[in-house]
Amino acid sequence: MIDSILANLDTALLYVFALSALVGAVLMLVLRHPMQVAMALISTMVSLGVIYGLLGVHFIAAFQVLIYVSAVMVFMVYVIMLLDTRDASFTHRFSLWVLPGVVFGVLLFAVLGYGVVLGVDYVANTPASFGLAQFAAAFLTEYWLQFELTSVLLLVAVVAALAVIKGSKGRQRG
Amino acid sequence: MLLLVAMALFALGLIGVIVRRNLLVMLMCMELMLNGVNLSLVTFAQQTGTTAGAVLVFLIFVVAAAEIAIAIPIVLVLVRQRRTLDADAYTDLHG
Amino acid sequence: MVLTLIVLLPLAGFFANGLLGDRLGKPFVTVVGCGLPIIAFVLAIKSFLVLLAGGGTPIVETVFTWARIGGQSFDIAFWFDRLSAVMVLIVTGVGSLIHIYSTGYMKQDKSYARFFAYLNLFLFFMLLLVLGRSLLVLFVGWEGVGLASYLLIGFWFEEADNARAGKKAFITNRIGDAGFLLGMFLLFWATGTLDMDRINAAFMSPKAPVVSASLVGILLFIGATGKSAQIPLHVWLPDAMAGPTPVSALIHAATMVTAGVYLVARMSGIYMHAEGASQVVAVIGVATALFAATIAVVQTDIKKVLAYSTISQLGLMFVALGVGAYSVAIFHVTTHAFFKACLFLGAGSVIHALSGEQDVRKMGGLARKIPVTFVTFVVATAAIAGIPPLAGFFSKDEILWFAFASERGGSLLLWAVASFAALLTSFYMFRLVWLTFLGKSRMTPEVEHHVHESPKSMTGVLAVLAALSAVGGFLSLPHFLEPMLPLPAVPEHLHPLETPLLIGSIVIAFAGLAGAAWFFGNGAVRAERMRQRFAGLHRVLAGKYFVDELYERLLGMPLCWISEHVFLRTGDRMLFDGTLHGLAGLARRTAGAFSRVQSGNLHLYALLVVAGIVAGLAWSFRFV
Repeated sequence: MIDSILANLDTALLYVFALSALVGAVLMLVLRHPMQVAMALISTMVSLGVIYGLLGVHFIAAFQVLIYVSAVMVFMVYVIMLLDTRDASFTHRFSLWVLPGVVFGVLLFAVLGYGVVLGVDYVANTPASFGLAQFAAAFLTEYWLQFELTSVLLLVAVVAALAVIKGSKGRQRG
Repeated sequence: MLLLVAMALFALGLIGVIVRRNLLVMLMCMELMLNGVNLSLVTFAQQTGTTAGAVLVFLIFVVAAAEIAIAIPIVLVLVRQRRTLDADAYTDLHG
Repeated sequence: MVLTLIVLLPLAGFFANGLLGDRLGKPFVTVVGCGLPIIAFVLAIKSFLVLLAGGGTPIVETVFTWARIGGQSFDIAFWFDRLSAVMVLIVTGVGSLIHIYSTGYMKQDKSYARFFAYLNLFLFFMLLLVLGRSLLVLFVGWEGVGLASYLLIGFWFEEADNARAGKKAFITNRIGDAGFLLGMFLLFWATGTLDMDRINAAFMSPKAPVVSASLVGILLFIGATGKSAQIPLHVWLPDAMAGPTPVSALIHAATMVTAGVYLVARMSGIYMHAEGASQVVAVIGVATALFAATIAVVQTDIKKVLAYSTISQLGLMFVALGVGAYSVAIFHVTTHAFFKACLFLGAGSVIHALSGEQDVRKMGGLARKIPVTFVTFVVATAAIAGIPPLAGFFSKDEILWFAFASERGGSLLLWAVASFAALLTSFYMFRLVWLTFLGKSRMTPEVEHHVHESPKSMTGVLAVLAALSAVGGFLSLPHFLEPMLPLPAVPEHLHPLETPLLIGSIVIAFAGLAGAAWFFGNGAVRAERMRQRFAGLHRVLAGKYFVDELYERLLGMPLCWISEHVFLRTGDRMLFDGTLHGLAGLARRTAGAFSRVQSGNLHLYALLVVAGIVAGLAWSFRFV
């Protein structure tokens, strides 16, 4: 009986946190202050992390929180606080293309959903059949090239960021 | 169901890029899109049992981090010159 | 080889004079321009002797194959038989004489080299015309002489009227050529060949070709009408007098205008079986003869009188062709070449003596002052009037006899009209002599002061031609041409009338002379009185029956209107320009509309990306 409750609990939690992610996403669209939008996004990301954990890929969940929330979103919040300007984008949140944008977004969802419904069953609540060891080994055997390339990508990102800041500083001084 | 959620997140992110005027909010909506894609990849990985989906998710983490590391300095430089975060102010490339 | 050489020598003269003439000066042009035709004449005599030695069998020279289409091959070949011999001798002989004359007449002209180049070019095409074996080669020559005529009529093209006259000649010719081409097509379709000897044989054979001989005959005659200035395409010849006088003599008297007569005579095989066509030829010929003769009576320009005289004489030649007397027509071509060339060159001499005056009302009393010109002119006039024993008498009498008595269309009416035309010919020619040379001088003093005889190059030629006009009648060409162009049969009961008709011709000639003396002697008082009494008739005749004005109203103005309104305004401006501008405008507007998409607005770009993705995905589901 405990198993049946646990099994149902799993599914229920899944639904709850899926809903939470969606609510966060919708809030992102309507809140006015960028800081509020950032908070909504963080909540969505954390919900997604929980979903990953429920699905059994605990390391992915860990990295979701580690990279996205603590690195990316923190950076984002810093910049929002730095550039707290009350300009036209604050008073008028929405661009000219609000209605067409919403319509096409819904259309996109419909088209993609149709594709999904055509051929895919619902997710089964079975734990992942691959372990962390297998996952790590894959990086060093099958996907070693992508692994190395990501290191190159990070190097490029560092250089680019430096270039942008240095370049702008140069213009400022001159 | 999770796939539908993933697609909804993606669609909402896209709507956000089109709808909101603030540059930083647009960036955050793009992060939302990436998260939607991540969810769908994890779902696929869990369904098929291979490692491919999870590996791709990991790579997307790296790319997202790199992307935000560059996009925000660009926004900073732009704002320093124009003093506004409104996307409608940056229409120099019209023809 | 010899025939090809005869044809090519003038062509070489054209190139030499045209390209090098201006640089190497007048002596070079004179030697080349006159020398080559003279050599061609010598070669023609040589070929003629060869022909006689061979008993008249034709000499054929195939030069090269022009085209091979399907199973047919079209060759450039030259054919020299009795008829060709006569024509070639006239063309090269009289042509050479006129070339020599031109060295004197055009001596002061600044385009001396160009003149001789064009004359040589004309000679080349004319020889191509008379020596060609197939209708194709003849047609090349036909068109070529039309071109040379245009170039030479408009020789002094700085005057717009001269250029216009040249254009008129060429266009009128072209209209006739349409008929000629249709005739050629029909002949080729019916007989499978364009060689004239083969076509004649096909028509003479018992099994006649499918096409109607009369139809072909009429179509070819339409071409002849254009070239030989018969009604209704005669309008270009009087205007062609705008060209230099040697041109009028060579082209519009002796050679080019006789090409139509040559064509009909050459295709006698067709015309002998084409009753209808022959009748049409005779009727138009006699009508033209009368028509032109009446106009010539009142003309005041010395060259215009001779032009209308040429048209009238050509009409008589066609009368002969129409009643089946082909060799008689060629005989008249020969004698006409002699005396008409002499008349034209004589007129040129008069004009030269009077420093450019051409109006006979301002002439008179020149007989003593330019005696050589006067004598040669009178001899030629007597020849054309038909006074025996000069050349014109023989040929004209033969024409009148066959017009009356030939079994193939001769009639009393035809003879009567032709005789009346002959009477008028004698009358207006002697009128010309009286007004120009005799009586009191009506010249302006400065002109009278400068009157002088022409140089030897001109008077020498006049003397030769006058001599030929005198004795040419004894050549008896019809007898020479008999083996290939038999004379038509004459009914038995009409034979006794031959002598009375002969005497009648002589009476007509002298009657004309007497009439001219009566009216135009003693200061032309009686002529003046006649003119005032019949002022209306005089106006119609002087206005050439207003044919030019009729053509202008009937054809010229409607065509101009159509060109202006239909083709220029509607067609060219509205349709073509409108379409082009419309398309360009459309492209511009569309591009303008499309370029507004690129507004610089990020949100719009993102929206369009989404729209594209949605469309692409929706489309891809077709294949799921």
